[in-house]
Amino acid sequence: MKRIYVFTALCLIVSLLLSPGMALAQEPKEIVATYMQAGTYDKAAEELVPAFEKATGIKVELIVAPWDVLNQNHITDLTTGTGAYDVMSGEFWIATVFEHMLPLDDYVKRDNYGGDFIERIWSPGPSNFYDGKRIGVPYSADAYGIWYNTEIFEQCQLKAEWETWDDYIAVLDKLQTCLKGKDIAPMVHYFGQIEQPAAIFLGMYDGYLVDKNGNYALDREKAIAALNKMQSLLKYNPEGVLGFDFNAGNAVFLAGKAATMVGWPSFIRANADDPAQSQVVGKWAMAKFPGPGFPMVSAWNLFISKYSKNPDAAWEWIKFYANPENGKKFMLKYGIGSPFKSTYEDPELLKTLAHFLPGQLENLSRVKSLPWTFAAFEAFFRNEGDFHQGKITAEEMLDRVQAEWNEIKVPEALIQLADAQGLMEK
Amino acid sequence: MSTVMITQKRRRRLRHDWPWMAAFVVPAALLVVAVQFYPLLFSAYLSTQDWTLTSSQSSEGFVGLQNFAKVLQNDVFQRAVRNSALITGTAVVLEMIIGTALAYLAAGSSRIIRAVRTLLILPLVIAPVAAGTLWRMMLNSQMGLTNYLLSFLGIQGPDWLGNADWALVSVIIVDVWMTTPFVLLVVLAGVSSIPDELHESAALDGASRWKSFLYIDVPLMAPLLLLTFLFRMLESLLSLDSIYTLTLGGPGYATFTMTYYIYTLGLRSFNLGMAAAASWLFMSFATVALLVVFWLQRRWQTAQ
Repeated sequence: MKRIYVFTALCLIVSLLLSPGMALAQEPKEIVATYMQAGTYDKAAEELVPAFEKATGIKVELIVAPWDVLNQNHITDLTTGTGAYDVMSGEFWIATVFEHMLPLDDYVKRDNYGGDFIERIWSPGPSNFYDGKRIGVPYSADAYGIWYNTEIFEQCQLKAEWETWDDYIAVLDKLQTCLKGKDIAPMVHYFGQIEQPAAIFLGMYDGYLVDKNGNYALDREKAIAALNKMQSLLKYNPEGVLGFDFNAGNAVFLAGKAATMVGWPSFIRANADDPAQSQVVGKWAMAKFPGPGFPMVSAWNLFISKYSKNPDAAWEWIKFYANPENGKKFMLKYGIGSPFKSTYEDPELLKTLAHFLPGQLENLSRVKSLPWTFAAFEAFFRNEGDFHQGKITAEEMLDRVQAEWNEIKVPEALIQLADAQGLMEK
Repeated sequence: MSTVMITQKRRRRLRHDWPWMAAFVVPAALLVVAVQFYPLLFSAYLSTQDWTLTSSQSSEGFVGLQNFAKVLQNDVFQRAVRNSALITGTAVVLEMIIGTALAYLAAGSSRIIRAVRTLLILPLVIAPVAAGTLWRMMLNSQMGLTNYLLSFLGIQGPDWLGNADWALVSVIIVDVWMTTPFVLLVVLAGVSSIPDELHESAALDGASRWKSFLYIDVPLMAPLLLLTFLFRMLESLLSLDSIYTLTLGGPGYATFTMTYYIYTLGLRSFNLGMAAAASWLFMSFATVALLVVFWLQRRWQTAQ
């Protein structure tokens, strides 16, 4: 009898001790995911939340913020070890805090994830790595490209075939002659969107961006040549191009007032095929972004914070959001560039987007990610702005940029990024 | 006798109530002191530290006044100071002149005048971010409304945002557009408070409307005008949002102001030490400007 009492008492004690743990285990998991407020990535995430919660039982809170605020929140959260966010959206701009991200290699291997990505997008650069370990999974991919008006090219009996910027400029010359007297410019770019023209420089420049000692530097001779070549492009653009922002630049091409446009495809593709917004429906195609440099990439990655309390649940969200099926769906619905190969090889899509997908895939296969911090980037594009204004020469610009760069310490993650992409001085 | 008694009674009551009054006031006072002074003291401490948040979670050491020296020697900072001085100096003077003129034109109580007044103060209630975006579209040299309207007058509008000099002008225009209504409202209140008798007697003595304005209105409203000038100057110096959306501080560094510089250092580069030093320098410049205005005010009062 006594034994029964002791046994019952023990059972009671054990069950009392276990109950809080069991309650915790049964408590639904909750994760916080961040996205940029863009009306695209964030909307796509919002759309997925109910299905994800239903399928996994994991609750998701989305935090959406404009680019600047998003980066500020991430950096502050990670450097203070707060851990408010489980899944974070970001790019190389937050490379200064890459060391605070969770390596994802084990998850990737365990779930055999990532097989369908465009190889270049899945590699270091567009995909974010730290100390040789994957920390980011790309969920969007856009590459700088050149759009051209097929009707104008036909009228001028030209082909949009170029390997280098010199080839492209030769075509611009021919276009200028052909379009003389017409209100159509051979080229348009949003030179007034001050951070954008740097992408053209990077396409023309094939030197290093980080020197042997791990400091920001440029091959002076190559950089001067590229800058002067870039300046020579201004004459092919419409008047007032130095004040053109994204909208103004895109509008010129969509109105059929420019034969070519250098820019981000995802900012214009959906509108270009919409008769309500475009006069070039069925009259445009995507061409190669010339070399010898590289097309700049925009590849948003999803990271898991090292301070996340639910990394497994966070990984489930990443898989649910970034997969080939969604890549295709989000490209069509929200204009998000797909990082998945299958989207570009989809026979059904190729029927309607044959003028876009092959060219875009080619450019995506050559992209590189900038190993610059935003401060380094800003030093470059602001002085470049003064150069475009004719206030300083290319040589003076480089002196000024270098003087500002000398004050910037290159984060380890970006040195690794430069090295992995062949952008470091040999 | 009765007065003495009342005073004594009050004193006794005050002595009795004092602990209660202190209990209510002291926490609030402490809170104000903490909220006002703690950030200031902390930023003073930060300004002497080598601390970039992205490199280290804590300060990497005391550097004395090195951050101040670095900021002062920085080319970009010097340009930002020049831009801030130019934008604020020009915009505030224009706002004072236009606002005062409009206040006189919009004085009165007829229905039309009241409607015009309402229209005139509308820009004041538009968020600076929205105003910047709106003007960015309007000042687009190719498709903007401004150049379109100018073309009716046979004028080919400039490249407002693409040209460094015109971009500065654009920032000034937007600042003037947004905040002239504030000057208008304040001056209007000042004008309304001047007794009509003064103007009537001046008119009887043969003074013109202009002379009456110069010798009656201006002296009476001088303290008010100086205060308005002061407010506007500080606000204009602190302005960031409209410039951010209008020009992004560009082209190049053309419209890069001191607040933009501090924002970039603090919230983009996370260089807390240098951002704090730049903030203190900014505060020093603003204080000097304030002292000049106060000095002018005192001189004016002495001269009166």
